[in-house]
Amino acid sequence: MTSHPRLFSPYDEPMWSSIAAREMRLQRCAGCSAFRYPPGPACPRCLGVEASWEPIAGSGRVLSWTTFHRQYLSAYPPPHSVVAVKLDEGPIMIGSVKPEHVAALAVDRAVRMVYVAHPDGYLLPAFEPA
Amino acid sequence: MPADSCGASLHKVAAVTGIAHTDWIEDYRRVRAGDKPFDSYGYGALAFSRAMADAGISRSDIDGLIVGPTTAYERMGEVLDLNPRWGDQADAVTAVAKACMAIATGMAEVVALVYGNDQRSAAIQYGGPEAMGGDAFLSYVYHSPWGLTSQGALYALMFRRYMALTGTQERDLGQVSVAQRAWASRNPHALMQKRITLDDYLAAPYIAEPLHLFDYCLINDGGVALIVAEASRARAIATKSGKPLVFVDGIGRADLNREATSLGPRLLEFYRPAQHLAARQVYEMAGVGPEDVDALLVYDSFSCHILFALEGFGYCGEGEAGSFIARTGIGPGGQLPVNTGGGHLSESYMQGWNHQIEAVRQIRGEGGDRQVPDCRHVHYVSDVAGKVVSLMYGA
Ligand SMILES: [Zn+2]
Repeated sequence: MTSHPRLFSPYDEPMWSSIAAREMRLQRCAGCSAFRYPPGPACPRCLGVEASWEPIAGSGRVLSWTTFHRQYLSAYPPPHSVVAVKLDEGPIMIGSVKPEHVAALAVDRAVRMVYVAHPDGYLLPAFEPA
Repeated sequence: MPADSCGASLHKVAAVTGIAHTDWIEDYRRVRAGDKPFDSYGYGALAFSRAMADAGISRSDIDGLIVGPTTAYERMGEVLDLNPRWGDQADAVTAVAKACMAIATGMAEVVALVYGNDQRSAAIQYGGPEAMGGDAFLSYVYHSPWGLTSQGALYALMFRRYMALTGTQERDLGQVSVAQRAWASRNPHALMQKRITLDDYLAAPYIAEPLHLFDYCLINDGGVALIVAEASRARAIATKSGKPLVFVDGIGRADLNREATSLGPRLLEFYRPAQHLAARQVYEMAGVGPEDVDALLVYDSFSCHILFALEGFGYCGEGEAGSFIARTGIGPGGQLPVNTGGGHLSESYMQGWNHQIEAVRQIRGEGGDRQVPDCRHVHYVSDVAGKVVSLMYGA
Protein backbone atom coordinates (compact mmCIF):
# COMPACT_ATOMS: atom_id res chain seq x y z
CA MET A 1 0.00 0.00 0.00
CA THR A 2 1.34 3.41 -0.94
CA SER A 3 0.14 6.96 -0.39
CA HIS A 4 0.62 7.98 -3.98
CA PRO A 5 1.29 6.52 -7.47
CA ARG A 6 4.56 6.86 -9.36
CA LEU A 7 5.81 10.44 -9.22
CA PHE A 8 6.81 11.86 -12.58
CA SER A 9 8.57 14.86 -11.05
CA PRO A 10 9.46 16.13 -7.56
CA TYR A 11 6.61 18.65 -7.95
CA ASP A 12 4.00 15.88 -7.96
CA GLU A 13 4.43 14.88 -4.31
CA PRO A 14 2.65 17.83 -2.62
CA MET A 15 -0.28 17.39 -5.00
CA TRP A 16 -0.68 13.71 -4.12
CA SER A 17 -0.40 14.54 -0.42
CA SER A 18 -3.26 17.02 -0.81
CA ILE A 19 -5.31 14.40 -2.65
CA ALA A 20 -4.64 11.95 0.19
CA ALA A 21 -6.06 14.61 2.53
CA ARG A 22 -9.16 14.89 0.28
CA GLU A 23 -8.41 18.52 -0.45
CA MET A 24 -6.66 18.64 -3.80
CA ARG A 25 -4.27 21.54 -4.22
CA LEU A 26 -2.44 22.85 -7.27
CA GLN A 27 0.43 25.27 -7.63
CA ARG A 28 -0.66 28.86 -8.08
CA CYS A 29 1.87 31.27 -9.54
CA ALA A 30 2.90 34.05 -7.15
CA GLY A 31 3.53 36.35 -10.09
CA CYS A 32 0.46 36.00 -12.30
CA SER A 33 -1.94 33.94 -10.11
CA ALA A 34 -2.36 31.20 -12.75
CA PHE A 35 -3.01 27.67 -11.57
CA ARG A 36 -0.97 25.01 -13.33
CA TYR A 37 -1.33 21.28 -13.93
CA PRO A 38 0.53 19.03 -13.96
CA PRO A 39 2.74 20.45 -11.21
CA GLY A 40 6.03 21.77 -12.55
CA PRO A 41 9.10 23.89 -11.91
CA ALA A 42 7.88 27.13 -13.45
CA CYS A 43 4.71 28.94 -14.48
CA PRO A 44 4.13 28.24 -18.20
CA ARG A 45 2.50 31.65 -18.52
CA CYS A 46 5.15 33.93 -16.96
CA LEU A 47 8.05 31.54 -16.16
CA GLY A 48 7.90 32.60 -12.51
CA VAL A 49 9.22 29.94 -10.14
CA GLU A 50 7.51 31.16 -6.96
CA ALA A 51 4.20 29.41 -6.28
CA SER A 52 1.93 28.42 -3.43
CA TRP A 53 -0.19 25.28 -3.11
CA GLU A 54 -3.82 26.39 -3.16
CA PRO A 55 -6.95 24.25 -2.80
CA ILE A 56 -9.08 23.92 -5.92
CA ALA A 57 -12.87 24.06 -5.89
CA GLY A 58 -13.23 20.66 -7.54
CA SER A 59 -15.80 21.97 -9.99
CA GLY A 60 -15.49 21.97 -13.74
CA ARG A 61 -17.02 21.05 -17.07
CA VAL A 62 -16.72 17.95 -19.23
CA LEU A 63 -14.52 18.20 -22.31
CA SER A 64 -14.65 14.53 -23.29
CA TRP A 65 -14.64 10.97 -22.02
CA THR A 66 -13.78 7.44 -23.10
CA THR A 67 -14.64 3.94 -21.97
CA PHE A 68 -12.07 1.14 -22.05
CA HIS A 69 -13.48 -2.16 -23.24
CA ARG A 70 -10.18 -3.99 -22.91
CA GLN A 71 -8.20 -4.57 -19.75
CA TYR A 72 -4.83 -2.85 -19.71
CA LEU A 73 -4.22 -2.61 -15.96
CA SER A 74 -5.22 -5.03 -13.21
CA ALA A 75 -6.81 -2.20 -11.24
CA TYR A 76 -9.25 -1.45 -14.04
CA PRO A 77 -11.35 -4.33 -15.36
CA PRO A 78 -13.52 -3.20 -18.30
CA PRO A 79 -15.69 -1.33 -18.79
CA HIS A 80 -13.73 1.49 -17.18
CA SER A 81 -14.30 5.14 -17.99
CA VAL A 82 -12.31 8.32 -17.61
CA VAL A 83 -13.37 11.89 -18.19
CA ALA A 84 -11.39 15.00 -19.21
CA VAL A 85 -12.56 18.00 -17.22
CA LYS A 86 -11.77 21.69 -17.58
CA LEU A 87 -11.47 22.84 -13.99
CA ASP A 88 -12.95 26.19 -13.06
CA GLU A 89 -9.39 27.24 -12.13
CA GLY A 90 -8.31 26.72 -15.77
CA PRO A 91 -6.30 23.53 -16.07
CA ILE A 92 -7.61 20.36 -17.69
CA MET A 93 -7.38 17.15 -15.71
CA ILE A 94 -8.32 13.51 -16.12
CA GLY A 95 -10.43 11.70 -13.56
CA SER A 96 -12.23 8.40 -13.23
CA VAL A 97 -15.98 8.23 -13.58
CA LYS A 98 -18.19 5.44 -12.23
CA PRO A 99 -20.14 3.32 -14.72
CA GLU A 100 -23.49 4.58 -13.43
CA HIS A 101 -22.53 8.16 -14.29
CA VAL A 102 -21.29 7.58 -17.83
CA ALA A 103 -24.71 7.91 -19.47
CA ALA A 104 -25.10 11.39 -17.96
CA LEU A 105 -21.84 12.68 -19.46
CA ALA A 106 -22.02 15.32 -22.16
CA VAL A 107 -19.70 18.03 -23.42
CA ASP A 108 -19.91 21.07 -21.11
CA ARG A 109 -21.81 19.10 -18.44
CA ALA A 110 -20.95 20.43 -14.97
CA VAL A 111 -19.14 17.91 -12.75
CA ARG A 112 -17.63 17.88 -9.28
CA MET A 113 -14.59 16.14 -7.90
CA VAL A 114 -14.88 13.23 -5.50
CA TYR A 115 -12.18 10.95 -4.14
CA VAL A 116 -12.07 7.22 -4.80
CA ALA A 117 -9.73 4.51 -3.59
CA HIS A 118 -7.22 2.94 -5.99
CA PRO A 119 -6.51 -0.76 -5.28
CA ASP A 120 -2.86 0.12 -4.67
CA GLY A 121 -3.91 2.04 -1.58
CA TYR A 122 -3.94 5.69 -2.57
CA LEU A 123 -6.81 8.09 -3.17
CA LEU A 124 -7.59 9.31 -6.67
CA PRO A 125 -9.62 12.27 -7.89
CA ALA A 126 -12.76 11.20 -9.74
CA PHE A 127 -15.70 13.12 -11.15
CA GLU A 128 -19.46 12.79 -11.01
CA PRO A 129 -22.27 14.93 -12.39
CA ALA A 130 -22.75 18.05 -10.29
CA MET B 1 5.35 35.51 -39.21
CA PRO B 2 8.25 33.10 -39.56
CA ALA B 3 5.99 30.96 -41.73
CA ASP B 4 6.12 33.64 -44.42
CA SER B 5 9.87 33.85 -44.42
CA CYS B 6 10.55 30.11 -44.64
CA GLY B 7 11.05 30.66 -48.37
CA ALA B 8 11.60 28.09 -51.06
CA SER B 9 15.12 27.24 -49.99
CA LEU B 10 14.53 23.50 -49.69
CA HIS B 11 12.35 23.17 -52.80
CA LYS B 12 13.78 20.35 -54.96
CA VAL B 13 17.12 20.60 -53.16
CA ALA B 14 17.08 16.83 -52.74
CA ALA B 15 15.45 13.77 -54.22
CA VAL B 16 14.77 10.22 -53.11
CA THR B 17 16.82 7.86 -55.25
CA GLY B 18 16.38 4.59 -53.42
CA ILE B 19 13.68 2.94 -51.35
CA ALA B 20 13.29 -0.46 -49.72
CA HIS B 21 11.67 -2.38 -46.92
CA THR B 22 11.89 -5.81 -45.37
CA ASP B 23 9.35 -8.52 -46.14
CA TRP B 24 6.76 -7.36 -43.64
CA ILE B 25 4.44 -10.32 -44.25
CA GLU B 26 7.19 -12.88 -43.64
CA ASP B 27 8.51 -10.87 -40.66
CA TYR B 28 5.00 -10.88 -39.19
CA ARG B 29 4.49 -14.60 -39.79
CA ARG B 30 7.79 -15.53 -38.16
CA VAL B 31 7.32 -13.28 -35.14
CA ARG B 32 3.79 -14.59 -34.56
CA ALA B 33 5.19 -18.10 -34.75
CA GLY B 34 7.45 -17.21 -31.83
CA ASP B 35 10.56 -16.65 -33.92
CA LYS B 36 12.83 -13.63 -33.49
CA PRO B 37 14.58 -13.41 -36.84
CA PHE B 38 16.13 -9.95 -36.29
CA ASP B 39 16.37 -7.10 -33.85
CA SER B 40 15.74 -3.49 -34.89
CA TYR B 41 19.30 -3.17 -36.21
CA GLY B 42 18.92 -6.28 -38.31
CA TYR B 43 15.71 -5.07 -39.93
CA GLY B 44 17.40 -1.74 -40.61
CA ALA B 45 20.46 -3.38 -42.15
CA LEU B 46 18.32 -5.52 -44.48
CA ALA B 47 16.31 -2.53 -45.66
CA PHE B 48 19.48 -0.46 -46.09
CA SER B 49 21.12 -3.03 -48.38
CA ARG B 50 18.01 -3.22 -50.50
CA ALA B 51 17.69 0.59 -50.72
CA MET B 52 21.28 0.85 -51.97
CA ALA B 53 20.51 -1.81 -54.56
CA ASP B 54 17.36 0.09 -55.60
CA ALA B 55 19.41 3.25 -56.10
CA GLY B 56 22.30 1.41 -57.68
CA ILE B 57 24.86 2.87 -55.29
CA SER B 58 27.34 1.48 -52.78
CA ARG B 59 28.35 2.48 -49.27
CA SER B 60 31.23 4.58 -50.56
CA ASP B 61 28.65 6.92 -52.14
CA ILE B 62 27.01 7.65 -48.79
CA ASP B 63 28.22 10.49 -46.58
CA GLY B 64 25.23 11.00 -44.30
CA LEU B 65 23.20 8.70 -42.05
CA ILE B 66 19.94 9.32 -40.23
CA VAL B 67 18.49 6.47 -38.19
CA GLY B 68 15.00 6.08 -36.81
CA PRO B 69 14.11 6.70 -33.16
CA THR B 70 14.08 2.98 -32.36
CA THR B 71 17.82 2.46 -32.81
CA ALA B 72 20.89 4.28 -31.52
CA TYR B 73 22.63 6.29 -34.22
CA GLU B 74 26.12 5.20 -33.24
CA ARG B 75 25.39 1.50 -33.06
CA MET B 76 23.45 1.48 -36.33
CA GLY B 77 26.41 3.22 -37.96
CA GLU B 78 28.64 0.42 -36.71
CA VAL B 79 26.27 -2.31 -37.88
CA LEU B 80 26.08 -0.74 -41.34
CA ASP B 81 29.84 -0.06 -41.30
CA LEU B 82 29.33 3.57 -42.32
CA ASN B 83 31.62 6.45 -41.38
CA PRO B 84 29.48 9.42 -42.44
CA ARG B 85 30.55 13.05 -42.20
CA TRP B 86 27.11 13.97 -40.92
CA GLY B 87 24.52 12.04 -38.93
CA ASP B 88 21.40 12.22 -36.83
CA GLN B 89 18.45 10.34 -35.36
CA ALA B 90 14.86 11.23 -36.18
CA ASP B 91 11.34 9.99 -36.80
CA ALA B 92 10.35 9.33 -40.42
CA VAL B 93 9.15 12.71 -41.58
CA THR B 94 11.74 14.64 -39.60
CA ALA B 95 14.44 12.38 -41.01
CA VAL B 96 13.50 13.39 -44.55
CA ALA B 97 13.40 17.06 -43.52
CA LYS B 98 16.78 16.81 -41.79
CA ALA B 99 18.33 15.06 -44.80
CA CYS B 100 17.17 17.95 -47.02
CA MET B 101 18.57 20.48 -44.55
CA ALA B 102 21.92 18.70 -44.35
CA ILE B 103 22.10 18.54 -48.13
CA ALA B 104 21.05 22.18 -48.58
CA THR B 105 23.80 23.33 -46.23
CA GLY B 106 26.48 21.15 -47.78
CA MET B 107 26.92 18.93 -44.74
CA ALA B 108 26.15 15.83 -46.79
CA GLU B 109 25.32 14.86 -50.37
CA VAL B 110 23.93 11.34 -50.20
CA VAL B 111 22.10 10.48 -47.00
CA ALA B 112 20.90 7.04 -45.98
CA LEU B 113 17.73 7.01 -43.85
CA VAL B 114 17.47 3.73 -41.98
CA TYR B 115 14.69 2.44 -39.75
CA GLY B 116 14.29 -0.89 -38.02
CA ASN B 117 11.76 -1.85 -35.38
CA ASP B 118 11.31 -5.08 -33.43
CA GLN B 119 8.38 -3.62 -31.47
CA ARG B 120 6.20 -6.73 -31.73
CA SER B 121 8.77 -9.38 -30.91
CA ALA B 122 10.21 -7.17 -28.15
CA ALA B 123 6.67 -6.59 -26.77
CA ILE B 124 7.15 -2.82 -26.66
CA GLN B 125 4.60 -1.17 -24.41
CA TYR B 126 2.62 1.71 -25.88
CA GLY B 127 0.52 2.02 -22.74
CA GLY B 128 1.10 1.93 -18.98
CA PRO B 129 3.22 4.00 -16.59
CA GLU B 130 6.44 2.97 -18.35
CA ALA B 131 5.09 3.42 -21.88
CA MET B 132 7.37 4.09 -24.83
CA GLY B 133 7.74 7.81 -25.50
CA GLY B 134 6.64 8.85 -22.02
CA ASP B 135 9.82 10.79 -21.37
CA ALA B 136 9.17 13.01 -24.39
CA PHE B 137 5.38 13.06 -24.24
CA LEU B 138 4.38 13.08 -20.58
CA SER B 139 0.72 12.72 -21.56
CA TYR B 140 1.46 9.11 -22.60
CA VAL B 141 2.15 8.14 -18.98
CA TYR B 142 0.93 10.87 -16.66
CA HIS B 143 -2.69 9.71 -16.45
CA SER B 144 -1.85 6.07 -15.74
CA PRO B 145 -3.18 6.21 -12.13
CA TRP B 146 -6.64 6.62 -13.69
CA GLY B 147 -6.02 3.81 -16.18
CA LEU B 148 -5.68 6.22 -19.09
CA THR B 149 -2.50 4.77 -20.47
CA SER B 150 -2.79 4.13 -24.16
CA GLN B 151 -2.39 6.53 -27.05
CA GLY B 152 -5.59 5.03 -28.43
CA ALA B 153 -7.45 6.37 -25.43
CA LEU B 154 -6.04 9.85 -26.01
CA TYR B 155 -7.37 9.74 -29.57
CA ALA B 156 -10.66 8.34 -28.30
CA LEU B 157 -11.02 11.41 -26.07
CA MET B 158 -10.17 13.65 -28.99
CA PHE B 159 -12.58 11.96 -31.37
CA ARG B 160 -15.40 11.80 -28.82
CA ARG B 161 -15.25 15.57 -28.39
CA TYR B 162 -14.99 16.07 -32.13
CA MET B 163 -18.12 13.93 -32.59
CA ALA B 164 -20.02 15.98 -30.02
CA LEU B 165 -19.01 19.31 -31.56
CA THR B 166 -19.50 18.39 -35.22
CA GLY B 167 -22.21 15.73 -35.28
CA THR B 168 -19.80 13.27 -36.88
CA GLN B 169 -20.80 9.62 -36.35
CA GLU B 170 -18.81 6.45 -35.84
CA ARG B 171 -19.82 5.30 -39.32
CA ASP B 172 -18.27 8.46 -40.78
CA LEU B 173 -14.98 7.50 -39.20
CA GLY B 174 -15.41 3.90 -40.33
CA GLN B 175 -15.07 5.00 -43.94
CA VAL B 176 -11.35 5.49 -43.31
CA SER B 177 -10.64 1.92 -42.18
CA VAL B 178 -12.78 0.48 -44.98
CA ALA B 179 -11.03 2.58 -47.65
CA GLN B 180 -7.53 1.86 -46.39
CA ARG B 181 -8.24 -1.86 -46.26
CA ALA B 182 -9.45 -1.64 -49.86
CA TRP B 183 -6.10 -0.09 -50.79
CA ALA B 184 -4.27 -2.77 -48.83
CA SER B 185 -6.17 -5.48 -50.72
CA ARG B 186 -4.30 -4.26 -53.81
CA ASN B 187 -0.92 -4.12 -52.07
CA PRO B 188 1.08 -7.37 -52.06
CA HIS B 189 3.21 -6.08 -49.15
CA ALA B 190 0.27 -5.28 -46.85
CA LEU B 191 -0.23 -7.38 -43.73
CA MET B 192 -4.02 -7.11 -43.83
CA GLN B 193 -5.37 -7.63 -47.35
CA LYS B 194 -8.86 -8.96 -46.61
CA ARG B 195 -11.40 -6.25 -47.39
CA ILE B 196 -13.83 -5.12 -44.71
CA THR B 197 -17.23 -3.45 -44.93
CA LEU B 198 -18.68 -0.66 -42.84
CA ASP B 199 -20.78 -3.30 -41.08
CA ASP B 200 -17.62 -5.26 -40.25
CA TYR B 201 -16.13 -2.07 -38.87
CA LEU B 202 -19.13 -1.27 -36.68
CA ALA B 203 -19.48 -4.89 -35.51
CA ALA B 204 -15.85 -5.06 -34.36
CA PRO B 205 -15.40 -4.47 -30.64
CA TYR B 206 -14.65 -1.14 -29.10
CA ILE B 207 -11.15 -0.82 -27.65
CA ALA B 208 -11.32 2.68 -26.17
CA GLU B 209 -14.85 3.80 -27.04
CA PRO B 210 -15.72 5.40 -29.43
CA LEU B 211 -12.77 3.82 -31.29
CA HIS B 212 -13.25 0.31 -32.66
CA LEU B 213 -10.66 -2.37 -33.36
CA PHE B 214 -10.19 -1.30 -36.99
CA ASP B 215 -9.41 2.29 -35.94
CA TYR B 216 -6.15 1.03 -34.43
CA CYS B 217 -2.82 0.54 -36.18
CA LEU B 218 -1.08 -2.82 -36.45
CA ILE B 219 1.94 -3.74 -34.35
CA ASN B 220 4.63 -5.56 -36.34
CA ASP B 221 8.37 -5.88 -36.85
CA GLY B 222 10.23 -4.70 -39.91
CA GLY B 223 12.52 -2.18 -41.54
CA VAL B 224 12.49 0.62 -44.10
CA ALA B 225 15.28 2.58 -45.75
CA LEU B 226 15.56 5.48 -48.18
CA ILE B 227 18.45 7.11 -50.01
CA VAL B 228 18.10 10.89 -50.28
CA ALA B 229 20.59 12.71 -52.51
CA GLU B 230 21.43 16.26 -53.52
CA ALA B 231 19.58 17.11 -56.76
CA SER B 232 22.48 16.91 -59.21
CA ARG B 233 23.87 13.78 -57.58
CA ALA B 234 20.36 12.37 -57.64
CA ARG B 235 20.08 12.97 -61.38
CA ALA B 236 23.34 11.12 -61.96
CA ILE B 237 22.19 8.23 -59.75
CA ALA B 238 18.82 8.09 -61.53
CA THR B 239 20.44 8.08 -64.95
CA LYS B 240 22.31 4.92 -63.98
CA SER B 241 19.51 3.22 -62.04
CA GLY B 242 16.73 4.11 -64.47
CA LYS B 243 14.45 4.93 -61.56
CA PRO B 244 12.35 8.12 -61.86
CA LEU B 245 13.42 10.88 -59.47
CA VAL B 246 11.11 11.92 -56.68
CA PHE B 247 11.90 15.34 -55.24
CA VAL B 248 11.06 16.82 -51.89
CA ASP B 249 9.17 19.92 -53.04
CA GLY B 250 8.11 21.33 -49.71
CA ILE B 251 8.43 20.97 -45.94
CA GLY B 252 6.29 22.47 -43.19
CA ARG B 253 6.38 22.12 -39.44
CA ALA B 254 4.72 23.56 -36.37
CA ASP B 255 4.55 22.22 -32.81
CA LEU B 256 2.05 22.68 -30.00
CA ASN B 257 3.71 22.04 -26.66
CA ARG B 258 1.70 24.33 -24.39
CA GLU B 259 -0.47 22.28 -21.99
CA ALA B 260 0.31 19.12 -23.93
CA THR B 261 0.23 16.84 -20.87
CA SER B 262 -3.19 18.07 -19.80
CA LEU B 263 -4.32 17.57 -23.43
CA GLY B 264 -5.17 21.22 -24.13
CA PRO B 265 -4.07 21.43 -27.78
CA ARG B 266 -5.56 18.01 -28.45
CA LEU B 267 -8.99 18.53 -26.90
CA LEU B 268 -9.51 22.26 -27.27
CA GLU B 269 -7.93 22.82 -30.70
CA PHE B 270 -7.60 19.40 -32.37
CA TYR B 271 -4.05 20.59 -33.20
CA ARG B 272 -5.49 22.90 -35.85
CA PRO B 273 -3.27 25.95 -35.22
CA ALA B 274 -0.15 23.85 -35.87
CA GLN B 275 -1.72 22.20 -38.90
CA HIS B 276 -2.60 25.57 -40.40
CA LEU B 277 0.96 26.86 -39.96
CA ALA B 278 2.55 23.71 -41.33
CA ALA B 279 0.08 23.69 -44.23
CA ARG B 280 0.95 27.21 -45.24
CA GLN B 281 4.66 26.44 -45.13
CA VAL B 282 4.50 23.21 -47.09
CA TYR B 283 2.15 24.53 -49.76
CA GLU B 284 4.15 27.74 -50.23
CA MET B 285 7.46 25.94 -50.48
CA ALA B 286 6.06 23.35 -52.86
CA GLY B 287 4.15 25.87 -54.93
CA VAL B 288 1.06 23.66 -54.92
CA GLY B 289 -2.11 23.44 -52.88
CA PRO B 290 -4.50 20.71 -51.84
CA GLU B 291 -6.27 20.94 -55.21
CA ASP B 292 -3.03 19.83 -56.92
CA VAL B 293 -2.44 16.80 -54.73
CA ASP B 294 -2.80 13.40 -56.42
CA ALA B 295 -2.51 11.32 -53.24
CA LEU B 296 -2.53 12.19 -49.55
CA LEU B 297 -0.64 10.04 -47.08
CA VAL B 298 -1.33 10.54 -43.38
CA TYR B 299 0.42 9.18 -40.29
CA ASP B 300 -2.37 6.95 -39.06
CA SER B 301 -1.66 5.37 -35.71
CA PHE B 302 -5.44 5.82 -35.45
CA SER B 303 -7.98 6.35 -38.20
CA CYS B 304 -9.15 9.72 -36.87
CA HIS B 305 -5.81 11.25 -37.90
CA ILE B 306 -7.20 11.29 -41.44
CA LEU B 307 -10.22 13.42 -40.52
CA PHE B 308 -8.09 15.91 -38.63
CA ALA B 309 -5.53 16.07 -41.47
CA LEU B 310 -8.19 16.67 -44.13
CA GLU B 311 -9.54 19.61 -42.16
CA GLY B 312 -6.28 21.01 -40.84
CA PHE B 313 -4.61 20.99 -44.25
CA GLY B 314 -7.46 22.63 -46.10
CA TYR B 315 -8.95 19.71 -48.02
CA CYS B 316 -12.33 20.48 -46.46
CA GLY B 317 -13.88 22.72 -43.83
CA GLU B 318 -13.81 22.10 -40.08
CA GLY B 319 -16.25 19.42 -39.02
CA GLU B 320 -16.85 18.38 -42.64
CA ALA B 321 -14.37 15.52 -43.02
CA GLY B 322 -17.00 12.79 -42.72
CA SER B 323 -19.21 14.17 -45.46
CA PHE B 324 -16.15 15.11 -47.53
CA ILE B 325 -14.94 11.51 -47.48
CA ALA B 326 -18.38 10.22 -48.45
CA ARG B 327 -18.65 12.71 -51.30
CA THR B 328 -15.08 12.61 -52.59
CA GLY B 329 -13.95 9.05 -51.96
CA ILE B 330 -10.54 8.32 -50.45
CA GLY B 331 -10.28 4.66 -51.47
CA PRO B 332 -9.45 3.10 -54.85
CA GLY B 333 -11.27 5.05 -57.57
CA GLY B 334 -11.92 7.98 -55.23
CA GLN B 335 -11.11 11.54 -56.13
CA LEU B 336 -8.60 11.93 -53.29
CA PRO B 337 -6.65 8.71 -52.75
CA VAL B 338 -5.57 8.55 -49.09
CA ASN B 339 -2.99 6.13 -47.66
CA THR B 340 -2.77 4.20 -50.90
CA GLY B 341 -0.67 1.40 -49.43
CA GLY B 342 -3.12 0.74 -46.60
CA GLY B 343 -1.22 2.80 -44.06
CA HIS B 344 -0.55 1.81 -40.49
CA LEU B 345 -4.05 0.41 -40.20
CA SER B 346 -3.63 -2.25 -42.87
CA GLU B 347 -0.20 -2.23 -44.53
CA SER B 348 2.47 -2.10 -41.82
CA TYR B 349 3.13 -0.05 -38.70
CA MET B 350 6.48 1.38 -39.66
CA GLN B 351 5.83 4.66 -37.81
CA GLY B 352 5.53 6.81 -40.92
CA TRP B 353 8.44 5.22 -42.77
CA ASN B 354 6.22 3.05 -44.97
CA HIS B 355 4.33 6.18 -46.03
CA GLN B 356 7.55 7.74 -47.34
CA ILE B 357 8.33 4.85 -49.64
CA GLU B 358 4.68 4.63 -50.73
CA ALA B 359 4.89 8.29 -51.79
CA VAL B 360 7.96 7.51 -53.87
CA ARG B 361 6.40 4.41 -55.42
CA GLN B 362 3.29 6.31 -56.49
CA ILE B 363 5.26 9.10 -58.16
CA ARG B 364 7.59 6.58 -59.80
CA GLY B 365 4.58 4.73 -61.15
CA GLU B 366 5.49 1.55 -59.25
CA GLY B 367 2.12 1.28 -57.47
CA GLY B 368 0.96 -1.80 -59.36
CA ASP B 369 -2.73 -2.53 -58.81
CA ARG B 370 -3.01 0.48 -56.52
CA GLN B 371 -1.26 2.97 -58.79
CA VAL B 372 -2.84 6.43 -58.77
CA PRO B 373 -3.05 7.55 -62.43
CA ASP B 374 -0.65 10.33 -63.48
CA CYS B 375 0.56 10.79 -59.91
CA ARG B 376 2.80 13.86 -59.68
CA HIS B 377 2.25 15.29 -56.19
CA VAL B 378 2.00 13.24 -53.02
CA HIS B 379 1.35 15.09 -49.78
CA TYR B 380 2.39 13.59 -46.45
CA VAL B 381 1.00 14.76 -43.13
CA SER B 382 2.26 13.65 -39.74
CA ASP B 383 0.72 14.79 -36.49
CA VAL B 384 2.10 12.98 -33.49
CA ALA B 385 1.05 14.49 -30.16
CA GLY B 386 0.96 18.02 -31.52
CA LYS B 387 4.18 17.83 -33.53
CA VAL B 388 2.85 18.55 -37.00
CA VAL B 389 5.24 17.94 -39.89
CA SER B 390 4.32 17.80 -43.55
CA LEU B 391 6.11 17.02 -46.81
CA MET B 392 5.21 17.46 -50.43
CA TYR B 393 6.82 15.00 -52.80
CA GLY B 394 6.92 15.92 -56.47
CA ALA B 395 7.96 14.43 -59.78
ZN1 LIG C 1 2.80 32.97 -13.72
